[in-house]
Amino acid sequence: MAADSLHHHFVLPGQVLATSMSESEGGFLRGHGTYIELVPDESTDHNDDDMCDTKQQGGMAGTSKKKRSGWGTETKSTVMQMDDGNEAEKQDENDEPSDFQRGPQRLIASVAGTVERVNKLISVIPLSPSIYTGQVGDLIVGRIVGVGGSRWKVSLTCSPPTASASNGSMKEGQLPLSGVNLPGGVQRIRTSEDVLAMRNLFREGDLLTCEVQQVQKDGNLILHTRSLRYGKLDNGVLVTVPPSLVGRRKNHFVTLKGLTSQNSDAMDTEEGGEGDVDVYLGLNGGIWIQRTIPSEWENAIRADQDERAPLAETLQKLRHRHSTTRVSPSMRESIARVRNSVECLRLVHCQITPDSIEIVARASVDQGVRVADMLLPEMVIKLTEGTRR
Amino acid sequence: MTSLQRTDILSLIHLRSDGRRPNEIRHMTCHLGALPPTTDCGSALPSSACSGSAMVTMGLTQVLCIVRGPCDVGRRTEELPDRATLEVTMRTAPFAPPGDRRSTNPTSDRRLIEQSHLLQKALSASILLHLYPKSKISVTVMVLADDGGRLEAAINACTLALIDAGIPLKDMVCACSAGRWNAGGSDEIVVDLNRREIQAATGGASGGGGGNNSGGGGGTSDTIYLPVATMPQRGTVVLSQCESRLSGGAEAFGEVLECARAGCEMVMEVMAAAVRERGAGLWKAREGKATVVLDDW
Repeated sequence: MAADSLHHHFVLPGQVLATSMSESEGGFLRGHGTYIELVPDESTDHNDDDMCDTKQQGGMAGTSKKKRSGWGTETKSTVMQMDDGNEAEKQDENDEPSDFQRGPQRLIASVAGTVERVNKLISVIPLSPSIYTGQVGDLIVGRIVGVGGSRWKVSLTCSPPTASASNGSMKEGQLPLSGVNLPGGVQRIRTSEDVLAMRNLFREGDLLTCEVQQVQKDGNLILHTRSLRYGKLDNGVLVTVPPSLVGRRKNHFVTLKGLTSQNSDAMDTEEGGEGDVDVYLGLNGGIWIQRTIPSEWENAIRADQDERAPLAETLQKLRHRHSTTRVSPSMRESIARVRNSVECLRLVHCQITPDSIEIVARASVDQGVRVADMLLPEMVIKLTEGTRR
Repeated sequence: MTSLQRTDILSLIHLRSDGRRPNEIRHMTCHLGALPPTTDCGSALPSSACSGSAMVTMGLTQVLCIVRGPCDVGRRTEELPDRATLEVTMRTAPFAPPGDRRSTNPTSDRRLIEQSHLLQKALSASILLHLYPKSKISVTVMVLADDGGRLEAAINACTLALIDAGIPLKDMVCACSAGRWNAGGSDEIVVDLNRREIQAATGGASGGGGGNNSGGGGGTSDTIYLPVATMPQRGTVVLSQCESRLSGGAEAFGEVLECARAGCEMVMEVMAAAVRERGAGLWKAREGKATVVLDDW
């Protein structure tokens, strides 16, 4: 089948994927990683044009000259300046320019990757899309890099504020003041006092989880932390990986259970956790690892406070307790183990899923690999064996 | 004492000083992802925000290119409402031999500034900049070793680094040079010149693509050094720079240009192979097949 033959093809930018004759049937729809161009009338003619151009200028025989022949014709000619990707359907709504329907057009790949085809829709999946393009509802693990103008600037690469100011992180997201929950869970209009007190909530350098609320036309992200799950991150480890390695899934907050090695005594259970580790898989490539908050804590806090106290308050207290309680050595070890497992997966370009993390972590426990040795090259290959089947 | 020199022997059997045939390009290797992309937050290196990189070696010329972005424009004045700004910086490594001229300040060398400008023009013909309005794509080229043709190597490296970064391109931009000079009476066109040949083609006074081709240049008829960048899949020329005095007219120029375009096709093949190799490796790793791509060592 034609679709199959096209399926696993690897294409380079500039490679023609399909050509359609005029506005007849059997055309294509433009997906991600491609663009549409009108086929030049006669390609030979086009080339001759170039040559004429060069010859003219070459003939002038000036003492010193620079030129870009053919380029001028290129820009003013046929390329349809269309938005890539996200607004593929926009193409239908807009009144298209009349010459768009005229003449044959062709679909050209703009990134290197594999062709994917769904009926008429042809798109190219890039081999390493290190550029994160947000979608509404994505979980982001980001870092605050700026406070001001009643909004926080959130770096999506989690790079520290100093570095991002100088060399530029990827696009930054905006977290407006109206997108956060005020302490105590009160709902009210934000006042200028709140603006002045913004640093009490998040300050520069803080890590946080948030969700994409809105994607603006130019690709800017508006974030929010209006759910109790989101907020500032403390007392854990951050790993950054290429965003392409984190896929969209149902749940981005996962708990890995029982990763402590058998020989290390799970005796110091004064904090109750049996070595469970929480992993937050940010779609921008930030992965946060922290201990699972033991259920005893929650019960204790619930017992302390009033029956009708809001959930927000309980969670706030839990969070506070989490950020002020030391992490026990055995817990630190399991956190480090998970962290190194993620790093292993990154090094072999493997998709990072709860399963794959667990496979690697479990393999390291079973083989009795010390946490520090997990990142030795031969170990990386050995440990990730399970993810390659 | 008339002794044949090595170069004379080579020219007798129609080989160039480094043993190539006239229509052969230098040995070329490409390495995509030469630097690890977006690494740890903890790393203090400024390259930590790099989203794609490539290393290209053409003969003894070696060039490293790093792409960052698309990211926020630092200054509002540089921001364009409808497309991304493309910022190109080209510099030589401090340990690199002082290529075409005596050692100059690598940051204020005017030839470097000019070449980075040319690079910017050539790349903006290919990058689909309108997809990232109000943002910046910055390309940094580091010349690690210069044996002539660093502009061509830089263009090739930039294309590969942009592909590695996943930035949409209209086409791959490939660059190669061609030149002609009168070598012992015989007039020949060669592709992909090294520094020695460039010096021969530009009158020797100052190499690296010309400079002032002093008054005597008119006497030595047509010596041309012509770096050309094309988009081979659609056959357009995006850059051609000629600084020498031509008396032979348009035909002579056209021949050299054709030769350079043929060279670009060859470069394209090498680059395409490199991209495919990289893609195959990543694809297999992601699919869970046997091959392992270990980057960082």
